[in-house]
Amino acid sequence: MDGATAARKPRRRTAHRLVPYAFLAPAIVMFTLFLLAPIGYTGYLSLRKVKVEGLGLGRGSRREIFAGLENYRQTLADTELWRGALRVLGYGAILTPVMLGLALLFALLLDSRRTGFRRFSRISIFLPFAVPVVIASLLWGFLYLPSVSPGQHLLRSAGLPEMDLLGPDLIVFALANIGVWGGVGFNMIVIYTALRAIPRELYESARIDGCSEFQIAVRIKIPLVVPAMIMTTVFSVIATLQVFSEPVTLRPMTNSLSSTWSPLMKIYQDAFARNDIFTAAATSIVVAAVTLVLSFGFLRAVQRRAFAGESQ
Amino acid sequence: MSTVLVKQPATRDSIEVTAPPRRRTAFTPTAILVLGAVYCLLPVTWVLIASTKSNADLFNTFTFAPGGALFDNVAGLSTYRGGIFWRWMANTALYAGLGALLSAALSGLTGYTLAKFRFPGRTVIFNVLLAGVLVPGIALAIPQYLVMAKFGLTDSYLSVLLPSIISPYGMYLARIYAAAAVPDSLIEAARTDGAGELRIFWRVAVPVMRPGLLTIFLFQFVAIWNNFLLPYIMLGDDRKFPVTVGLYSMLNLGNTLPALYTFVITGALLSILPLIALFLSLQRYWRVDLVAGAVKA
Amino acid sequence: MRSRWCRQLAAVAALVVGASLAGCGSDEPSPQATAGGKVELTFWTWVPKIEKVVDKWNAANPNIHVTVSTQAQGDDLITKVLTAHKGGSGVPDLIQAEYQALPTLVSNDVLADIKGDVEASKGKFAEGLWQQVTLGTDAVYAVPQDAGPMMLYYRTDLFQQLGLTVPKTWDEFAATARTVRQKDPKRYLTTFSATDPGWFAGLAQQAGASWWSIEGDTWKVSVNDSATKKVAEYWGGLVAAGSVDDQPMYTPEWNKALNDGALIAWPSAVWAPGVLQGNAASTKGKWAMAPLPQWSSGENKTGNWGGSSTAVTEKSKNKKAAAQFALWLNTDAAATTQLIQDGGLYPAAREAQAGPALAQPPAFFAEQNDFYPQAKSIADTAAGFTWGPNVNVAYTAYKDLFGKAITQKSSFTAALDQMQQTTVDDMRKNGFKVG
Repeated sequence: MDGATAARKPRRRTAHRLVPYAFLAPAIVMFTLFLLAPIGYTGYLSLRKVKVEGLGLGRGSRREIFAGLENYRQTLADTELWRGALRVLGYGAILTPVMLGLALLFALLLDSRRTGFRRFSRISIFLPFAVPVVIASLLWGFLYLPSVSPGQHLLRSAGLPEMDLLGPDLIVFALANIGVWGGVGFNMIVIYTALRAIPRELYESARIDGCSEFQIAVRIKIPLVVPAMIMTTVFSVIATLQVFSEPVTLRPMTNSLSSTWSPLMKIYQDAFARNDIFTAAATSIVVAAVTLVLSFGFLRAVQRRAFAGESQ
Repeated sequence: MSTVLVKQPATRDSIEVTAPPRRRTAFTPTAILVLGAVYCLLPVTWVLIASTKSNADLFNTFTFAPGGALFDNVAGLSTYRGGIFWRWMANTALYAGLGALLSAALSGLTGYTLAKFRFPGRTVIFNVLLAGVLVPGIALAIPQYLVMAKFGLTDSYLSVLLPSIISPYGMYLARIYAAAAVPDSLIEAARTDGAGELRIFWRVAVPVMRPGLLTIFLFQFVAIWNNFLLPYIMLGDDRKFPVTVGLYSMLNLGNTLPALYTFVITGALLSILPLIALFLSLQRYWRVDLVAGAVKA
Repeated sequence: MRSRWCRQLAAVAALVVGASLAGCGSDEPSPQATAGGKVELTFWTWVPKIEKVVDKWNAANPNIHVTVSTQAQGDDLITKVLTAHKGGSGVPDLIQAEYQALPTLVSNDVLADIKGDVEASKGKFAEGLWQQVTLGTDAVYAVPQDAGPMMLYYRTDLFQQLGLTVPKTWDEFAATARTVRQKDPKRYLTTFSATDPGWFAGLAQQAGASWWSIEGDTWKVSVNDSATKKVAEYWGGLVAAGSVDDQPMYTPEWNKALNDGALIAWPSAVWAPGVLQGNAASTKGKWAMAPLPQWSSGENKTGNWGGSSTAVTEKSKNKKAAAQFALWLNTDAAATTQLIQDGGLYPAAREAQAGPALAQPPAFFAEQNDFYPQAKSIADTAAGFTWGPNVNVAYTAYKDLFGKAITQKSSFTAALDQMQQTTVDDMRKNGFKVG
């Protein structure tokens, strides 16, 4: 770019003061337009509501007015929202340990030379990452519904009672399963990569001391991948709190899911079905704030303990 | 790049030779791993087999018994509404391919700047960008739509492309990667030679960051490919739909029309295949260790 | 090699960017009439193969060009229209709107009053349907397109096998349901679906219910009026006793049940043959149609399940042309014939109901020669209904509350009362005056 002017330009070892800002400009502009502006607009909308006059059928009978904090008051007092939050926490409590536990297990197995079919398994387990959640939920729906499901067919043939996976008792496991299936591969690769980064000498000295593979895994490998697992946990928790597509896709197939099963479903209902963007805006802000607090809080707590002494 | 570098595998092998002889592969670990692989492949296999069944067979035969109607199903799907399914696939390729490309470029530039320059506001900007990851997408959907409407851009290809370009996670990864992979000395040398900043980025940083940028590209590609809510809200004309929204619309045709399960299943299969092919062909370029290494920062 | 990679990448990027920009430029919403007089209209609809009908219009009317966009159906489409209307751009000129959505659209100022252009054709439609597009006011907000009168469909072969007669009253229906369970525990007479509020609304209409009504400038909500309570209690009893199934309709499981005869009857609407054909092709020729069971012997009533209209939007810049098209679409003989044959609709226009396109029974019911004449006489008995401004809230409440009642095995009438409360609360919250 500056080839022609090189002779004239003074030689510097540091960049011009404004260069970083110029380079960051595109990102900042896009961020402002597509994240900050909508967030700001959402905040604005959360402070307003609609007032209808009379029957509401005549022209101009709906007006938008300032509502103060009324939407927030109603949101925070809405028991359905908190029940949804509790359901989602239950869902997360099943999903996160199972998914990360399996990811860790598979990663450890991949890292062991004594395991066969590693290449095949690594690709297979990662494959669900390529399937969109909406499609995945539909596919699993077919596998859950009693009369079309091969699993239930097998149970029936064996004379065992059918499991109503879409019934009210097991539906949360059915949903968690879809999440585990979709996420275990990605997390497995993350942990596996962290495992590959461990210096081999550690294992050698342990083997010389007589440790078995299993003991090496538990005593050496797992503690050293804890940082990777922390990150996957945080992102998994965030995704859990925002679960939406799986329950929405399964809902028409079962009586066990309400339209406000998860907080994000409630936001969707308010915004799209009830045409009440104002309540939806207030609920969004509340959900986003809670997510922010939980994730940042968790990260801070964990970083202080796990990375004591680490500098950037 | 991970700062804890592994020793060459050869070292481990040479130890193996002197150790007492072990069985090459153990049964239990292999069985567990293969079981996991089978579990993950189960729905994919189901889709494969189900797409070979005609509509009548789909509900009348055993689930894993293949039928012979794959060709018919693909043909039927291709002629449904004048071949709109392939248009959906093309749209998805556009959104995901172009979107991921631009996103990787933007993330690369941003990450490089945040990693390699010292300037006031650096930490603040980084933290604010990162906070973007935590905002629920669905909460933003309608406000994003309304912002787009102000520019008159709704129901256009740009309305799906532009929001897809900004990826806080990608910027985060790029920053980590740039910090670890691009040596300051190289940059300073280039500056001393009189190169401009943009040229330095393009000629020095990008080649070194290429594996990381490719990873970001792949992540964002998958994310956009699988994204449902954004295009669903932004687009009105169904000729611009990506495949996920298109298949969903085929499922939800209402009470008065039969659901097109066969087409949806065949369409699902056809939409998964390109992604799988992409993964398999590019897997040696994956640098997921930068994700793991990101934790240390 | 590095620069070649760069160059290739740049070339691909330029190509793709160019293509996308070219694509995005051509989607101007609601273009104006050009100086040459040619009018461009956009029409959001979900009727299958409606492009063929529109092509006919475009050929005959070179100055008014209609473009069809199929992107969503029913409630989803309404949501998109409302969002587009709020955003101020991208609003189509014409939309297909189900009758129950019209009050919502009108109260959001989305629809134009097309009385001047279509009033003259009022007599072409049944009174009950016309009332749905005027909402009891002086204005006319849409042109009725199709109707969904309800009737009973049943498997003749299985009825014969189990020795059953076609029930004419709901009491007989209940008895038949019990008999089916006794004789063959693998089968149910039918299922009660908590995911299809329109179906339940149609059954309530048959019993004489009217969930919303207007008194001056106050709304009255009576979702749990005595007629609907009767229907809820009836079905609640059947579900509790296990006489009917409780699975949702329109799922893969339900498809399978129709295919293997686990469900042998289906209270549904006149458009059912198309659904059965698509979902249970293997049962072709084994079904017959009869009027819905009645609450009192000798009565002759039914309700409507769904049905939509064609409306013109307020933001359209060519309302007159749009209204013209809407009227043509739903009254012209050639247009309605094609809507029937390709779109699978049952037309609202009286002439079309008695027209040549409906002379033959549907292919799936080839044995039943009087299918359509019978359908017409049933359609004439369909009760009217007033829809309120928050039908989708009531519908969502139905799905949640009745679904919960099924899984918790609790009372359907209690669920109905809660549904009433939810509907009233939502209207009050939005500022409507509810008496």
